[in-house]
Amino acid sequence: MRLLKRFFARLFNSAMRRRDDKRLQEEIAEHLTRQTADNLRAGLSPSEAQRQAVLKLGAIGSMREEYWSEQGLASLETFIRDLLFGWRSLRKSPGFTAVAVVTLALGIGANTAIFTMVDTLLLRPIPVQDPRELTFLVFPRDASHFDPAFSGPEFRQLREQTHDVFSEVNAMILGGLAGPTSRADGLTVDGVTRPAQTLFVSGEFFGMLGIRPFLGRFILPSEGSGPGGDPVVVLSYRYWKARFQGDPGILGKSAYVNGRLVTIVGIALKGFYGPTPLVDMEAYLPLNMMAVETGGNTAFLTADSTRDLVIVARLAPGVGIERANAVLGPLGQGLAKQYPRPGEGNVLLARPLRPPGLINGPNPLPALAGLFLTLAGLVFALACLNMANLSLVRAASRQREMAVRAALGGSRIRLVRHLLSETVLLCLFGTAAGVLAGSLALRAVSATTIVPDLPIVFEFPFNFRVFLYGLVIAALASAIVGVLPALRVSKGNLSNILHEGGRSSTGRSQRTRSVLVALQVASSLALLIVAGLFLRSLQSAQRADLGFDPSHVLNVALDPGEIGYSQVQSADFYRQLLTRTRALPGVQRASLAMNAPLGDNTPSNVITIPGRAQQRGEELHADFNRVSPEYFATMSIAILQGRDLLDSDTELSPRVAVINEAMAQRFWPGVDAIGQSFKRNGDAQHPIAIVGVVKNSRIEDIYSPIGPAFYVPLSQAYTSAQTLQVRTVASSQSLAPEVLSIVRELAPTAPILSVRTMADVVRNELFLFNLGARLTAALGLLGLTLAVVGIYGVMTYAIGQRTQEIGVRMALGAQRGTILWMVSRQGLVIVGTGLAIGLLLAIGVGRLVGDFLVGIGPTDPLTYATVSVLLSLIALAACYVPARRALQVEPTVALRYE
Amino acid sequence: MKPKADVQQGTLALMILKTLDVLGPLHGYGIARRIEQISENLLAVNQGTLYPVLLRLEQEGAIASEWGASENNRRARFYRLTRSGRELLKAETRDWEQTAAIIGRFFQAKAEDFS
Repeated sequence: MRLLKRFFARLFNSAMRRRDDKRLQEEIAEHLTRQTADNLRAGLSPSEAQRQAVLKLGAIGSMREEYWSEQGLASLETFIRDLLFGWRSLRKSPGFTAVAVVTLALGIGANTAIFTMVDTLLLRPIPVQDPRELTFLVFPRDASHFDPAFSGPEFRQLREQTHDVFSEVNAMILGGLAGPTSRADGLTVDGVTRPAQTLFVSGEFFGMLGIRPFLGRFILPSEGSGPGGDPVVVLSYRYWKARFQGDPGILGKSAYVNGRLVTIVGIALKGFYGPTPLVDMEAYLPLNMMAVETGGNTAFLTADSTRDLVIVARLAPGVGIERANAVLGPLGQGLAKQYPRPGEGNVLLARPLRPPGLINGPNPLPALAGLFLTLAGLVFALACLNMANLSLVRAASRQREMAVRAALGGSRIRLVRHLLSETVLLCLFGTAAGVLAGSLALRAVSATTIVPDLPIVFEFPFNFRVFLYGLVIAALASAIVGVLPALRVSKGNLSNILHEGGRSSTGRSQRTRSVLVALQVASSLALLIVAGLFLRSLQSAQRADLGFDPSHVLNVALDPGEIGYSQVQSADFYRQLLTRTRALPGVQRASLAMNAPLGDNTPSNVITIPGRAQQRGEELHADFNRVSPEYFATMSIAILQGRDLLDSDTELSPRVAVINEAMAQRFWPGVDAIGQSFKRNGDAQHPIAIVGVVKNSRIEDIYSPIGPAFYVPLSQAYTSAQTLQVRTVASSQSLAPEVLSIVRELAPTAPILSVRTMADVVRNELFLFNLGARLTAALGLLGLTLAVVGIYGVMTYAIGQRTQEIGVRMALGAQRGTILWMVSRQGLVIVGTGLAIGLLLAIGVGRLVGDFLVGIGPTDPLTYATVSVLLSLIALAACYVPARRALQVEPTVALRYE
Repeated sequence: MKPKADVQQGTLALMILKTLDVLGPLHGYGIARRIEQISENLLAVNQGTLYPVLLRLEQEGAIASEWGASENNRRARFYRLTRSGRELLKAETRDWEQTAAIIGRFFQAKAEDFS
C-alpha cells in the first residue's frame, strides 16, 4: 500500500514533469542559514561558520540527484526518452522502418493464422471440464485401425466393472450419414424439415463433461436407457443460431426427428460442438432415441452382436491412462471371450479423447498440421532472418554514429538501450500490423465456403495466445540482433572506427549477412517448391478422369422415410417423381441413387463368390450403390458389356447387379463376368447375378485408386433416402426450382436434404487441394518477397560500400563487364549456396507433403527445376539491379565521395 | 576518536519518524539537529541526505509538510507525522525491537548454549 502510494506519487510527478527543485533549494538555503547561525553562536568566525555548515550538509550535487530520482520514476523517464529518440531515428530512415514493419507483420501474421488453425483443429481440448481425463475405449486391430464400437450388454458390463479407474462411463452413437445406419436425419419444426447431425448419448453424458446448457436443460441421467425412448432433443448453439436466429421461444416446442415427435428442451453452450471440434453435433438425443434411425429396432441397446456404441469414460481422479489400461486388459479378455469379435484384437484399451481421437485409420491431420507448421516456421525463420539482416545492415552503417556516441561518453548500456528501444518500437508497429494481417488471413480462411454433408466447423477466431507467442520470439530475435552490433561497437577501438570513416564494414558482419541471405534463399526455395508441388497436385486432381460427366447434373437428396413413409409409399413417391421430372422441358435424363458419386458416405460390402477358393481370413470388399434404371446414362458412365438395370428388375425377379471394370478384373480375371454371381454378406439366400459391366468411375473421392464396385437396383434393395439426379440440357441450377416444386406437390412435408449441382460436389471435393495450394502459394510468395528484399538489401549495401573502389578501378581502365562480374560474383555465390541448401531442405519438407499429393511424387523433378530456375532468375535480378547502378557511377564522383 | 558509524538504509527514516513523533511538527534543520544530539555525535549523517528521505516519506504518505513561519519568523517547511506514519512508526518500532532482542540474545549466548 505504501509502496503503491509512493509509486503513484512518482508516476504523477513524472507525467506532470513536476520537478520541485525550488523547494529543495529553499530548504537547503534555510538549513545553511540556521547552521551558520548556530556555528556563529558557537564562536566560529563568520567565514568558517559558513564553511563548516556547507561541509556538514554534504555534497549538494549528489543530494539533488537523489532528490530528483526520488521525486520521479527515473527509469521510466529514461525509457520514454529512449522511445522518443528511437521514433525520431526510425523516422529518419522510413525505408528501413517500412520494410522491417512489413516483415514482422507478415511473419507474425502468417504464423498466427497457421498456429491458430492447428491449435483449433488439433491441440485445443474440447471446452469441457478437465478434458484430459476423457477417454474412449477401443479394441484396436493394429496400430492405426480400431473400431470404437461396443454392444449394449458390453457397455453395461464395462460400466459396472470399471469403478476403480473411471469415475463415469457413458455411451454415444453418432447419428446421420457417418453413423452406423448411414441415414441422414431430419429435424422438422413448424412443418419445415432440415437435416441435422445427430448424436445419441446416454443419460450422464453431459454430467460427465461437466458443462452447463446455454438455455434449458441437457439430457437427464434418467433418460436414454429405457426401451420406449425419451422424446427430447437438445440443439447445438450454432444450429440454433443459424436455423432459429437464436430465438429462445424455441424451448419447449414440439419437433419431429425423422417423423418422431420430440420436445426441444435445451440449447448447448456456445463453442461446444460435441466430442470432436471439427464437426458440429447439431442435435443431441437420448441414447434410446437411436430407434428413430433404425425404424424402431432397439438392437443397438440390447443385442450382443450389434455394436454401435462408442464408450466415453472419464478417468477417476488421480488415475492415469496406464493404470486404466492395466485394469481394462483382463476385462477385455473376458469380454472378448463372452462376446467374440472375429478379426479384432482382444486387448481393450482406453485412448485419450483428443480432437483427432475418434477418427479410425491413419489420421491425416497431424501430418497436415506438421507440414503447415513447418512451412509457417520457414516463413517465420525468413522474417527473423530478414529482421536480423536489416538490423545488421543498419548497425553497420551506423557504426560511426555509435562510435561518436561512445567517444562522447555514451556508456555501453546506454547505447544498447538506444538500439533496443528502436527494436521495441519496431515490434510495436509490427505487432499492430501483424494483428491486422493475421486476422485478415484467418477471416479469409474461415470464409472459404465448403458445403459438405457434415456440418464441419471451419471457424478460426483470432488467437491471442498464439499471437503473443510469435511476437515474443520475433522480439527476442530482433533484440539479440539489435544489441549485438552495439556491443561490438562499444568494445571496438573507437579511434579505428572513426578513422575508417564508415567505409569498410567489418569483414565478419559482411560474412554473417551473406550467410543469412543464403539461408533466406534456401528457405524460400523450400517454401516455393512445396507450393509448386501443391499447385501441380491441384492441377492433376482437376484433370483427373472422373469416369462420369459432372456438368449439367443436379442432385436432390430426399428422404420421405423421415416423415414416416412406408416402403410402398416411398416407392410410389419416387416413381411419380421420376416420371414427372423426365417430362420437364430441358431434362435429358433422370435417375435415382442411394448415393450420388463423391458423396460423403460410400458403403462397402463384404461379398462372397461361390466356387472361389478363398484364403483363410481373406475378405472380399466392394463398394456398392443402389440405383434406378438409367443411372449410368444420367451420369454418362459407359456400359461396356451386358445391359443396364431395367424396370423389369423388380423385387420379385432374380437379383441382379451391374459391376465396374475393376470388380470384373479383380474377381473374374480373364473370364467373362456376365452371368457370374456373388452374394452380399448377411444376405446369403439371394445370389446376385451380374448382368452388366460399366466403365470405372470415381465413387468416393477423386484421388484414391478405383476399387471394385457394384450397383444393385433400388427396387431390390430398398432405402428411403435417395438422391434424384437430373441431367439437363442447359444449366442444371436453373432447373432446381421446377424439380423442387414437383417434390413439394408430391410430398409437401418430405425433407429435402440437399440440392447441389454435381459440379459443386466436384468442386467441394477439390476443396482441400485448393486450400492447400492457396495456403502454400501464399506462404511461398511471402517467402519469396522476404528473400528478394534480403538479397537486394545486402547487395545494395555491399556495392555501396565499394563505390570508391569501383571508381578507382574504372579510372584505371577496368572494363564494365569485369566490374559487373566482380560485384555480382558475391551475389551469385550467395544465391548458389542458398539454392543448394534449399533443394536439400525441400526434399526434407517434401517427405511431409508426400501423402497429400495426387498424381505427382514429392520429388517431382519438373517442379524442382522450374522453381529453382524461377528463384535464381529473381535472385539474380535482385543482384543485378544494384550492380548496374554501381557501373553508372562516375569515377570522379566516386573518388570525391569522401 | 572512534570512527563514526554509517547510517543504515531505512534507519534514518525511522529516526525521522520517531523525532517527529516525540517533538511534533519540525523543520528539516530541526530534525537534523535532534538526530545529531540524540546520537551524541556518534552518527555521521551528511545532513543533506535527510531531504530525499523526507521526500520519500512524504510520497509514501507517512509524513505531511507545509510552509510555516519558524520561531524567528523565517519561512520554513514544517514536517509532521500523519496517522499512517504513526502506524508505520509503531510497526517499525516493534520490528526493530524484535530484531534487537534476537541479536541481543545471540550476543549473550555462551558456548554451552549451542551444544
